[in-house]
Amino acid sequence: MKMPAGLDIERLYDEHARPLYAFLLNFTRDEADTRDLLQEIFIKLAREPKLLAGVREERPFLIRLAHNAAIDLMRRRGTRERTKENFAAEMVSPFAPAGDPDEKVFRDELAEALAELPEEQRAVVHLKLWGELTFEEIAGALDISPNTAASRYRYGIDKLRDRLRPIYEEMK
Amino acid sequence: MKPDDFEQKLSRQPMRQIPGEWRAEILDACRVSSVERREPERFLPSTLVSRLSTIFWPHPKAWAGLAAVWILIFAVDFSMRDTTPVLAEKAAPPSPEVIVELKQQQRMLAELIGAGQAREAEVPRFLPQPRSERVEIMMT
Repeated sequence: MKMPAGLDIERLYDEHARPLYAFLLNFTRDEADTRDLLQEIFIKLAREPKLLAGVREERPFLIRLAHNAAIDLMRRRGTRERTKENFAAEMVSPFAPAGDPDEKVFRDELAEALAELPEEQRAVVHLKLWGELTFEEIAGALDISPNTAASRYRYGIDKLRDRLRPIYEEMK
Repeated sequence: MKPDDFEQKLSRQPMRQIPGEWRAEILDACRVSSVERREPERFLPSTLVSRLSTIFWPHPKAWAGLAAVWILIFAVDFSMRDTTPVLAEKAAPPSPEVIVELKQQQRMLAELIGAGQAREAEVPRFLPQPRSERVEIMMT
């Protein structure tokens, strides 16, 4: 079986699946949900190749699809509060396991602190720090203004700083 | 906006790696999905048979019983069908004597009606008159 002409889904996967996975995992904190959402996005692209026609920057566009899919999942699942409660009990860290004990503690704390951020701030912080997108690209991906993206980032970083200050100072 | 040390420290934290086996699974799902979309289902006898079998297969005895009941209903209906000819078809045309008798009765009926009408014409009818004339009549 071959893909429809004009759409290289394998190239799209190889170039974008990793950052999409990280973004979705930071959103859902669940491996199975992340896999479902990732598959849903790529199937959508495979079924409707014209979605990418005229798209200049693929990454922000795909992030937008991922963000919408994640929001839809949250709505289907129920209230955001319930999901947050689940985070505390069985959340999967979006960070790679660390060998160094201090680094492990820091990553665990960071994962928890990120989970406590409001979704809109968490999305911007993630895309800026780990997605390496500019505020303009984040604004395009999340359908907000660049100023809103910058302010959400600033609020999110300040909360993380307050939360992680003790451990960060200790590690310096 | 230049990131400070704290932000740099955060951005250096490596994210979890995507499981390698997902690639093949997701790309296979994409291929199947895109092929299904390109080939809309055509109407074939085999498709019809397979669809019917999916309907009938779960309870074959129930469907067979229902079919037997319908066959029985048709058989009973067919055997009890009325084969006697309709009465109107059987009746013979009236004889000339009967026709003459009927005409005579019609004539008599017409005469009776005519006599009744003549009697009705003889009955004096009350014609409204002025009150003064009525008083005069009473005086006389």
